[in-house]
Amino acid sequence: MVIEATTKQVYASGVKPIWCPGCGDYGVFAAITKALTDLKVDKSNAVIVSGIGCSSAMPQTFGTYGIHSLHGRLLPVASGVKLANHDLTVIGTGGDGDGYGIGVGHLIHTARRNIDLTYIVMDNETYGLTTGQTSPTAIMGHKTKSTPFGAIEMPVSPLALAISAGATYVARGFSGDTVHLAELIKGAIQHKGFALVDVFSPCVTFNHDNTYEWFRPRIYKLDQSNHDPSNLGAAFEKAVEDSQTKWEKIPIGLFYKTDRPSYEELDITLKNGPLVKQAMPTKEQIMRMLEEHK
Amino acid sequence: MQANFMTSVTVRIAGANGDGVESSGALLMKLAAKNGMQAFGYRGYQSIIRGGHVWFQVRIGDSDERLRSHGNSIDVLIALNQDGIANQASHLSENAAVVYDPDKVKVDSLDSSKYRLVPVQMLEIAVRVSGDPIMRNTVAIGSAMKIIGIDFKIFESVITAMFSRKGNKIVENNIKAAKEGFDSVKFEKMHSIKSDGRQRYMLDGNTALAIGAYASGCNFYSAYPMTPASSILHWFAAHADRGVFFKQTEDEIAAINMAVGAANTGVRAMCGTSGGGFSLMVEGLGFAGMLEVPLVVVESQRTGPSTGLPTKTEQGDLLFVMHASQGEFPRIVVSPRSVEEAFYIGSEAFNLAERYQCPVIILMDLYISEHVETVDGFDIDAISIDRGKVATSNPESGKFKRYLYTEDGISPRSHPGTPGTEFVAPSDEHDEYGDLVSDALSGIDRYVEVRRKMMRKRMTKIDTMLKNEKIFVPSIYKEDSDFFLVTFGSTTEPAMEAAELLSGKGFKTGVISFSYLMPLDKDKVRKMLEGRKLIDVEVNYTAQLAQVIMMNTGIEIEKRVLEYDGEAVTGEGIAEKALPLLKEFSR
Ligand SMILES: Cc1ncc(C[n+]2csc(CCOP(=O)(O)OP(=O)(O)O)c2C)c(N)n1
Ligand code: SF4
Ligand SMILES: [Mg+2]
Repeated sequence: MVIEATTKQVYASGVKPIWCPGCGDYGVFAAITKALTDLKVDKSNAVIVSGIGCSSAMPQTFGTYGIHSLHGRLLPVASGVKLANHDLTVIGTGGDGDGYGIGVGHLIHTARRNIDLTYIVMDNETYGLTTGQTSPTAIMGHKTKSTPFGAIEMPVSPLALAISAGATYVARGFSGDTVHLAELIKGAIQHKGFALVDVFSPCVTFNHDNTYEWFRPRIYKLDQSNHDPSNLGAAFEKAVEDSQTKWEKIPIGLFYKTDRPSYEELDITLKNGPLVKQAMPTKEQIMRMLEEHK
Repeated sequence: MQANFMTSVTVRIAGANGDGVESSGALLMKLAAKNGMQAFGYRGYQSIIRGGHVWFQVRIGDSDERLRSHGNSIDVLIALNQDGIANQASHLSENAAVVYDPDKVKVDSLDSSKYRLVPVQMLEIAVRVSGDPIMRNTVAIGSAMKIIGIDFKIFESVITAMFSRKGNKIVENNIKAAKEGFDSVKFEKMHSIKSDGRQRYMLDGNTALAIGAYASGCNFYSAYPMTPASSILHWFAAHADRGVFFKQTEDEIAAINMAVGAANTGVRAMCGTSGGGFSLMVEGLGFAGMLEVPLVVVESQRTGPSTGLPTKTEQGDLLFVMHASQGEFPRIVVSPRSVEEAFYIGSEAFNLAERYQCPVIILMDLYISEHVETVDGFDIDAISIDRGKVATSNPESGKFKRYLYTEDGISPRSHPGTPGTEFVAPSDEHDEYGDLVSDALSGIDRYVEVRRKMMRKRMTKIDTMLKNEKIFVPSIYKEDSDFFLVTFGSTTEPAMEAAELLSGKGFKTGVISFSYLMPLDKDKVRKMLEGRKLIDVEVNYTAQLAQVIMMNTGIEIEKRVLEYDGEAVTGEGIAEKALPLLKEFSR
């Protein structure tokens, strides 16, 4: 146990998170730490990339490399990191507003590219950092400062969206169960391709509907229910079970997993190794490029 | 106004989209270049794939004189359809030769005493010789060669090289078709262009820029297609098998953010677009500024605002790229003045970006991006690589200070994968470690000071670059002149041509031109402009360069030649408008 404690500290930066006491994001921090520790990820080879939001404060809490980027732009930034050096372990950490609102276009395209990234979304069904407005995952009727009469839009189903866009590892966890969540994150890091881990991570300050207590009786684990994650049809069915059951039954666990070559494995340039390690062109090579235009 | 200081002939091929106008123009340029002449080509086109009215203008000139624009009036018109006559007649120079197919095109509207009408049965010859109607362009090119005075043997060698892979028959048919076109011209050549038998490079500004970037080790390009920047992405995509990586993204927001992620990881990364896409990139640009990431962004302007004239040129985004983004941070803005310079700037931009860890914006426009010209040579020994301050280990114990306060404002950067120099690059304001001073700490005295110091650290880089680099001043052409045209970027070369023409009219005129526009060495710029008789020449409505000069030096250039019709300026066009302004000075 002592050994484990010191190993965990390897990943901590010592920066105190900005989160409110009780915020779900602490659980996600613990789960990521456990996953990195268990997998013995080299600290200098890990890059944690976030967007903007309470949840996006994640990278600073780690002593790995990281980028705290723009609201909604986590995935293109993380893609740029991975495409420049695919020897790195790249993990995205952001919020539901960040990933399913302003940045949702990038989710679809990053998924279909199957870039080898792990993308963890702390889904609190609200905009925490901007003091509680409605979010793309807010359940209909949910009242916030921006929807005082209740949300009247259908929430997005991030899992169904990711599966249909071509993500090759799609999971959902709960920050109230960090051991289970850590296993899902480990699977995502080890998976070669684009992995989405959506996490119910309650905002104790601004979302008084979707609380730990609200989730607990509704949640059940897919790995205890005969779900076959290689079955696309079943995965879709499970992905929309929450809204289909009017949030009476909310599955968590691994919804879908399939093997498809990652972008880095298929790209003609990246096949030759990480870009950052490729040699500068020689004078002869430059001349040859110019000579094409004679 | 006729250009009489050099010999050149301007050929315009006009027809509909899908007629092969562009490939014919490119072939003609190739023939001239192979013949040891200078060539300059520009196409006028629209955003439709078939139909419409398109033209390709090729100017061919003496081997010993650089061509500085695509030429004003047409000396040889090849009209592939009736529109070719109707739309181009007003551009014909005196005595112009008009090549047309008498079976298809009527020329009654043209005064046959003023022009040399050259009927060539292009279609009939093409079908008879090859069975392929598209070969009529080849017939027309044959006729043009005779008029210009290009040796027919050149055609044989060029066509053989181009089509030998497709088989002998194709080559033979082309030669037969061109020869009949050549022989259809019943008079001797109308022009005597000097040739020196030398093989020149022939390329457009985007290609030159892309190869320059490649030469400096840029192997990452991300972009979303947008005219006139698209040919850069085409170049990168086409050379993926030679070590460059290209990613077509879902939008320009992704393009710039990917490039930022890549640049922060240690590759030389570039993204590119036109003004509309650049609008989407603006937040990412400030992000790069805050992260102090070496990023190169290409913005190739077209006629705005909004979607504007997508296939036409303008220099209307200068102030936009200089000021785009909230807040303040160092950036370098540079606008290449020629195809040749686009190559060197495409390469040097990365040294500057890495030396000063800031975005470098290369401001192109449709004219320089897309026009093709011959270049005598490239000096690749002039290309050097300077990656700036890179930390390969942590010099101190404890956490690495990625944003270390330094006197010159530049802190050593480190790349993921390097042990000991871990840091988080933040878009929020931060301390030397990169830790945020925004959310929980802003407003506390100690952190108010951190903000002040960090801001000063970043901004100090502007002083450092002004001190260390000699580039932030304009160049002067014909220094002993009485008058100067002041301009930037792609308008420079046409302005030089205009200066020659004006000097020929008795007004000794030079050119003061800017490639680097931000930052500027104010004192040097002021000294260069002060007390001189100046005319500002730009392709925009509001004289943006003049505004930049005013802002930096207090000097107001009141006389202006401003064009904003979307068409590329020429020396003759500028000279015509500048002449009355020059006369005002003398009064
Ligand atoms: C372009 C832009 N628009 C808006 C904002 C303001 N903003 C910051 S965080 C945020 C929403 C945060 O919600 P979410 O991503 O769900 O993160 P949470 O705080 O809930 O973890 C918004 C709208 C911004 N920073 N940038
Ligand atoms: S506002 Fe909500 S999401 Fe943000 S830190 Fe507090 S509890 Fe967490
Ligand atoms: Mg949220």
